[in-house]
Amino acid sequence: MPAAAQSAPHDKLAKSIERVYGAGAQVDTVKVDTTTVYRISKAGTLLGFAEVRNVIGKELPITFLVAIDPQAALRDIDILVYREPQGGEVAYEPWRKQFRGKTAADPLQVGKDIRNISGATISSNSVTLGVRQALAQLSAWRAAGKLQ
Amino acid sequence: MRSPLPTVALLALSPIALLAQEPERTTIGGYGEVHYTNPSGPDSPGQVDVKRFVVFFGHSFSERIAFRSELEVEDTKVEGGEGGGEVALEQAYLDYRFSPAATLRAGLILPPIGIINETHEPPTFNGVSRPSFDDVVIPTTWRDIGLGMVGTLPGSAGLSYRAYLVNGLLASGFTAEEGIRGGRQEGKNASFANPSLTGRLEWARPGLKLGGSFWYGGSANQDPALGTGTFENAVALVEADARYDVGPFMFRGVVANISIADAERINAAFGSQIGSRIAGGYVEGAYNVLSALAPASAQRLNAFIRYEHYDTQADVPTGVTDDESLARRITTLGLTYKPLYNVVFKGDYQLLRNKAGVGEGEELSLGVGYQF
Repeated sequence: MPAAAQSAPHDKLAKSIERVYGAGAQVDTVKVDTTTVYRISKAGTLLGFAEVRNVIGKELPITFLVAIDPQAALRDIDILVYREPQGGEVAYEPWRKQFRGKTAADPLQVGKDIRNISGATISSNSVTLGVRQALAQLSAWRAAGKLQ
Repeated sequence: MRSPLPTVALLALSPIALLAQEPERTTIGGYGEVHYTNPSGPDSPGQVDVKRFVVFFGHSFSERIAFRSELEVEDTKVEGGEGGGEVALEQAYLDYRFSPAATLRAGLILPPIGIINETHEPPTFNGVSRPSFDDVVIPTTWRDIGLGMVGTLPGSAGLSYRAYLVNGLLASGFTAEEGIRGGRQEGKNASFANPSLTGRLEWARPGLKLGGSFWYGGSANQDPALGTGTFENAVALVEADARYDVGPFMFRGVVANISIADAERINAAFGSQIGSRIAGGYVEGAYNVLSALAPASAQRLNAFIRYEHYDTQADVPTGVTDDESLARRITTLGLTYKPLYNVVFKGDYQLLRNKAGVGEGEELSLGVGYQF
């Protein structure tokens, strides 16, 4: 479910990118169509691309980062802003790390290759759907040469 | 088009200037369920009821402060002089979020006990009605007025907590059949004579959630016959629960124990027959049949079985003869069809048994439910 444009504080975003790609990486912004994509590199070597997206949880947007490597495999996701009183367990590392290494060819569905968190079922499903859409988009742009 | 924006520059920019301004927003939602129940077999008519119709209203004033509420109509209407029917505020509280680890919550809140009390929307549980245990032992939907803290402990340990100080129970409402259920004040001109403590700790992993909770507080309401201390006629509840999903299988289980040490004095004061200990639990297993029949489908068809065992007179005080018909065993077999995550069609068959073998029966139920 797409959500109204919602951003994350930049310091949170910068820290998240640093956590995923390591310290000292250079972050450039690239516009593809109307979407802002972050291009991450270090000493001239491409490390990958990242995008901030939103999905609606139960009622409010969940703002998250999807980060891929140069081969368009998922490097990590990060929950940047979680706003609801329930379901915040999707930010836990044990849940997020299930996504690492996934590609656009994977089902990325709760109950199939992604395990649910009981009591956070709505958030688990929403974030998984959002990651699937983001990964499909980033992979397609990478394959089409729009992300270099 | 590319503009260089190194991480260091991002970090160096003023966080105040760049902090995303969260817009105010009002959210509405709801859930409901319509039931058909037939306790007496095909030769007699069943009963249909709009069991619950609930509207959520929420408002985020800022990134940190939000209001949430739940307004409920039970049995479609309240009519003067007729039994049944209820219009009730089920939740109404303000959250002030300091950090993910610390949110201050105040208002009409749900004690965080068991699985169902906090998460009771019909698509979230198997069976047309909530487990009977979550009615008789843990009196859902249990709500009271108070304040406390909720949050997720820092780090990736996967621990979260809720801890509240709320108004207490009233011993005058306790019964042999339904334990503490009638003692809830539900926020209606409630007495704060016995401030009570309740809390919960949860540990989550993909597919697994373990929880434990408690309630401790007096119930005497400064009645001279019972005692005027804050913790007079204390009710001490401890509970543990587990939910585990693996592939097409889903399991859940809950146990609880409630001690009312002064049951004898309460019975003397109100002419009741309450037990000094209420205990029980249930285990449930479910299998998503569609995982075998239609592996590509995102729909679910859960076949489930649940076994409940509880006794509202697990121990009795002096002066009470144990009523063995209160030691109940309920087996529920059923199907839960979810074409979408938020919509559910249910059917189940219950075998209602008790230790005395008195008034046993079987019940067929059908239902529809939704949440959004």
